[in-house]
Amino acid sequence: MEHAAVAQHAVESGSKIQDLAWAILVLPLVMAFGTAVLIPKNRTLSAVFNISGVVVAFLLSFTLFCLFGGQSADATPFHWLSVAGLDAQIGLHLDALSTLMLLVVTGVASLVMIYSTGYMHEDRSYTRFFSTLSLFVFSMLGIVLANNLLMLFVFWELVGVSSYLLIGFWYEKPSAGDASKKAFLTNRIGDFGFMLGILAIWSVAGTLDIAALKAQFIANPALLGPWAGLAGLLIFMGAMGKSAQFPLHVWLPDAMEGPTPVSALIHAATMVAAGVYMLCRLFFLYTATPGWPAALGFLDGLSAATIITCIGGFTALFAAVIAVQQDDIKRILAYSTLSQLGLMVMAVGLGAKTGDASASMYHLVTHAGFKAMLFLGAGSVIHACHHEQDIWKMGGLRTKMPKTFWTFALGTAALAGLPPFSGFYSKDEILAVALEANPIFFGVGVLVTVLTTFYMSRLVLVAFFGKPRGEGADHAHESPASMTVPLLVLAVPSAFIAWLPLGEFLSGHFKPGHAAHGGDILFGPFNHNPIAAFFGLGAALFGFSLAYSLYGKSPTQDPLSPKLGLLSQAMRNRFYIDEIYDGIVVPIHNLLSQVADAIDRWLIAGLAVRGLSGVVEIAGRALRLVQTGSIQTYAFLFTAGVLLIVLLALK
Amino acid sequence: MNYSLITLEILAVLLGLTVLVADLWVAPATRKALGLGLAAALGCLLAFAVGSLAPQSGSAFTGMFVVDDLARYFKGFFLFAALAVVLMTVDFAPKFGAGLSEFFALTLFALVGMLFAASASDLVLFFVSLELITVTFIVLNSFQRTRSVSLEAGVKYLILGGVSSAFMVFGIALIFGTANATNLAVIAAKQKELGQSALFLVGLLLVLVGLGFKIAAVPFQMWAPDVYQGSPAPATAFLAVGSKAAGFVLLIRLLVGAVPQIAAEWHRLFVVMSGATILYGSLCAIPQRNLKRLMGYSSVANAGYLLLGIVAGSAAGSTAILYYLAGYAFTVLAAFTVISAIANHVESDDISALSGLGQRSPLLAAVLTMALVSLAGIPPLAGFFGKVLLFKSVLEAAPGHPELYALIAVAVVGVVISLYYYFGVIRAIYWGGQSANLSTIPVALPTRVVLLACVAGMLVLGIFPQGLMKIADHAVAGLSHKAAPSAPKAAH
Repeated sequence: MEHAAVAQHAVESGSKIQDLAWAILVLPLVMAFGTAVLIPKNRTLSAVFNISGVVVAFLLSFTLFCLFGGQSADATPFHWLSVAGLDAQIGLHLDALSTLMLLVVTGVASLVMIYSTGYMHEDRSYTRFFSTLSLFVFSMLGIVLANNLLMLFVFWELVGVSSYLLIGFWYEKPSAGDASKKAFLTNRIGDFGFMLGILAIWSVAGTLDIAALKAQFIANPALLGPWAGLAGLLIFMGAMGKSAQFPLHVWLPDAMEGPTPVSALIHAATMVAAGVYMLCRLFFLYTATPGWPAALGFLDGLSAATIITCIGGFTALFAAVIAVQQDDIKRILAYSTLSQLGLMVMAVGLGAKTGDASASMYHLVTHAGFKAMLFLGAGSVIHACHHEQDIWKMGGLRTKMPKTFWTFALGTAALAGLPPFSGFYSKDEILAVALEANPIFFGVGVLVTVLTTFYMSRLVLVAFFGKPRGEGADHAHESPASMTVPLLVLAVPSAFIAWLPLGEFLSGHFKPGHAAHGGDILFGPFNHNPIAAFFGLGAALFGFSLAYSLYGKSPTQDPLSPKLGLLSQAMRNRFYIDEIYDGIVVPIHNLLSQVADAIDRWLIAGLAVRGLSGVVEIAGRALRLVQTGSIQTYAFLFTAGVLLIVLLALK
Repeated sequence: MNYSLITLEILAVLLGLTVLVADLWVAPATRKALGLGLAAALGCLLAFAVGSLAPQSGSAFTGMFVVDDLARYFKGFFLFAALAVVLMTVDFAPKFGAGLSEFFALTLFALVGMLFAASASDLVLFFVSLELITVTFIVLNSFQRTRSVSLEAGVKYLILGGVSSAFMVFGIALIFGTANATNLAVIAAKQKELGQSALFLVGLLLVLVGLGFKIAAVPFQMWAPDVYQGSPAPATAFLAVGSKAAGFVLLIRLLVGAVPQIAAEWHRLFVVMSGATILYGSLCAIPQRNLKRLMGYSSVANAGYLLLGIVAGSAAGSTAILYYLAGYAFTVLAAFTVISAIANHVESDDISALSGLGQRSPLLAAVLTMALVSLAGIPPLAGFFGKVLLFKSVLEAAPGHPELYALIAVAVVGVVISLYYYFGVIRAIYWGGQSANLSTIPVALPTRVVLLACVAGMLVLGIFPQGLMKIADHAVAGLSHKAAPSAPKAAH
C-alpha cells in the first residue's frame, strides 16, 4: 500500500512518463490485497478484478516498451532507508531487457489468468487463487524492474514465497504440501549464495545500484580482483535455485503438483526465467576479469562464466535424457523446461566471451511463449481427461480436441526448433554462439535438440494420435473458450515472432552500436551461420524420425523401455538424485539439528538461562530480607543512606 | 504583582473547598455523581491549563513562583493524573464506606501542592508544596481506616516523610545560611563561589535527600513497597504518578536549572544512585506475589530509569525525563484503574487472584497487559520510546565516561529482569489456572473512558513520538536559557 502512495506521489509531483512503471508494479499488489481483504467471497468479481489489473499492466508495459525499449530510464526512486553507507532505494529501471521482460511477464500472466477462469472453475478457493497469482506477478515484476541488488533480492524472496503459496495451493494434498516445501527450501539454498554474492559485491564495490556497478565494471573490469570468480558463482547460485540448474533442479518437477496454470506461469515464463534474466542483468559480472582468492588457486584459468557454461550444458543434457522416459505429461514438460533453461544458462556463459548474452535472452522470450502454450495445452488435456496425466492412458485426442491439438503441435514444433517457428531462431542463435566459442557445447546443443524433438514427438504421438487407451481420453471433449482462446493467442508469437527483429534488438542492448546480422530474418540463420542452422534443423528432423519409428504405430506400451533396460529404470527414477539427497543430505541435516538441539537444551537453556535466572532470583529473595517492615529499620537505613550520599558526594 | 499567574491553583483550591461544602447537601447515594461533577470540573481546568487562555509566562511573589513552559507541561500532567484518579475513585468508592468527598477534597489539595511544585523557583516554596503533598498523602494512604495495612501505610509514610522533611528543611537552612538566599535564580548566579562552600554542598545534598524520598530512589526507597501495598489503589496511583513527577520537576529545576555545574561534579553520585535504584527495584520485584507491592518496586525501578536523565545532565536528558514521565503516567494510571475496577470483584491484591481475568473482563485484562508491556519497555508502546530517549541521552554523554557504559549495561539488565516479573503477571491473567469465580466484571463508562484514554496515550507516545518530544524539548529549552548559559555538563 505504501508503494501505492509513493507511486501516486511520484505521478503527481513529477511529469516523468517512466513513472508509469510504478503503476505496473503496484497494480497487481493492489489487486492481490484488494481481493483478499475486500472480496474474498465474490468469485466473479475477483476474477474480473485481477484479470483487468494484469491486463492494464500489460497495456502499460506495451506503452513503456515502445517508449523505452531502445534507451534506458529510471522511474523516480523511493528512498527506503539509509544506514551507514548503504542508501537503500526502491527504484525502477527501464531498458530493452526490463521492458521486454515486462511484456513477457504481464502478457503470459494475463493469458494464464483468463485461462484459469475455465481451469479453476470448480475450485472452492477460486478467489485465493487469483489473489495469490496477482501477488506472484507483483513479486516477479519487482525483480524485472529492480534497479539495485537489495531490491532485487527482496523481490527474489517474494517470488520464493508466492511460488510456495501457488505450488502448495492444494495444500490438502500431502504431495502438494511437500512439493511447495521442497521448492521453497531448495530455492533458499540458492538464495543464501545469492545473498553472500551481493554482500561480496557490496563490500568491494560499495554500491548495490546496478547501473553504478555496471559503470564501475566498464571503467575497471578487474574491479572485484580475486573475488570476481567467487562473487560471480555466488550470484549464480541464486539463478541456480530459481532457474533450477543442477544440482538444485530437484524442486521443479515436483512443483508440477501445483495447478497447471501455475505451472504455465511459474515454470515457463516467470520464476524460472528470473534466474536467467538476472544473469543477463548482471552480465557485466561475467565479462569482468576472472580471479580467485588464494585458497581457490586451483581454479585459476577458469572463469565463473566457464563453470556456468558447464553447469548449464550438463543440466540441458541431463534433463533432456530424463524427459525421454517420463510418462506424466506435465513432468515431460517440466524436464523439458529444465533442459531449455540449461541451454539458456549455457548461452549466458558462452556469451561472456563475446560480451553478448542476447542469444540467451532471446531464447528466454520465445521459450516463455511456447512453453506457456504447451503447459496450458497440457492443462486443457488434463482437464478434458478428468485429471489423467499419464500419456499412456490418453490417445486419439487429435480429433476430440482440435484446437488444443493444433496449438500443442505448434508449440512442439517451436520447442523442437523447426523453422519458421520461434524456437528455431532463438535456438539457432545459441548454437551459433556455441559453435563460435566451443565445439563441445555446440555438440551438447545439437544433442539436446535431438532429444528434445524426440521426447516431444513421443508425447504428441502417444497422447494425440492412435486410439484412446483410457477411460478419460474416451470421454474427452474440447475445453471451453476461456481455455482455448489463451492457447490461440499464445500461438501467435510462437508462430510469428521470427518476423520481428528481436535478436537484433537484444544484441543492441548488450552491444550498443554493433549492427547484428541484419538482412532477411526468416532465412537469416541459413545465410549468416549455415552450419549451426543446418545442424539444428537436421537434429530436429532426426529426432522426429526416431520418435516416429518407435511411436508412429501407436503402441500401447513404451517400446523403448525394454531396449534401454536398466538405463530406462534410472531415467524413470531421475537418476536417483532425490534418493541420493535423501541418503546424504537428510541424515547430515538430522545429525546437525540434534547437535544444535542438545546445545540449546543443555548449554543455553540449562546453563545460561536457568543459571542466570537462578542467580537473579536468589538476589531478589535476599534483598527482600532488607525490607523487614519495621519502621525503625527503615528510619535507620534512611539516615545511613543520607550519610552515605554525603560521603559519596563530598569525598 | 501578577496574581493571574496563580489562577489555576486558586481554582483548584476553590474546587476542593466546594467539594467539601457540597458534601453537606449531597445524599450519600449520589456521591458518585459528585465525583463525576468534579471530574468534569477538572477536565475544564485541564483544558484551561493547556489551552491558549492559560496564564502567560512570568513570575510572581518576588520570583518564588514562575510560570514557564516547564511549569505548564507539568501542570497539565498533574491535572490529567488527578482527573484519572478521581474517576478511578468513583469505581473504588464502595471500599471506603464513608468519606468519599473528603477523599476527593484531599486529592485536590494534593493536586494544589503539585501545581505549586511545578512552578516553585524558591526553596521555601519547594518545601511548602512538598509538605502539602506529603501531609495530604498521609491521610490518603490511611484512608481505609478499617484496614490495618492502610493505617500502617499512613503511619510509615508519616514517620519517614517526617524524617525526610527534617533533612530537607535542615538543608534549606544551611543553604540560606551560606547563600543568604533561597531563590533559585539568585543561587544560580552565585553557584561558582557557593560550590566552594562545604556547608552549602551539604545543604544541597540534604535537599536532594528530601527529593529522593519523594521519587523513591535508593537509599530512600524503603517506604515505597509497604505504602504502595497498603494504600487504597487510587491513592497509590496518585502517589506513583503525581508525587513522583513533583519530585522530578523539582529535581530538574534545582539540578538542571539552578546548579548544573555542581550537579556535573556529582556525576558519580547520580550514576551510583541510578544504577542501585534500577537494580534494587528490579531484583526485589521478582519474588513478589502482591500486585500493588510489585508496582511499588516497579515504581522504584522506574525512578532509577528516570534518574538516567539526570545523569545525562543534558537538555536531551531532561526532555527524556519529561517524555518518560508522560508515558509512565498513562501506563501506571491504566494499571491502577484496572486494579481499582477489579478491587470489588476479586478477593485480594494477590497476583494469583488475577487468574481468569482474561475471561471475566477481556477489556481490563487487555489494558493491564498493555500497561505491563509498556512498563517493560516493549514497542510500540510509550514505555519503549521513553526508555530509548533516556538511554540515548546517557549514551550521548558517555564518550569519556566509561562508568556510563556500565550504567547502561545495568539499566539493560534491569529491563531484562523486569520483563520476567511483568510477564509473570500477564501469565497469571491469561494462563493462571482455573479460577473458581468466572463471573463477568462490569466496567463502568467513566472507567472505560479513562482506560481508553490511557491506551490511546500509550499508543500515540509509542508510535508518534515527535509531537510530545517537541513540546518537551520546548519546555526544557526555556530552563537552560534562564539559568545555565554554559553547557550543563561542565568540564569533568
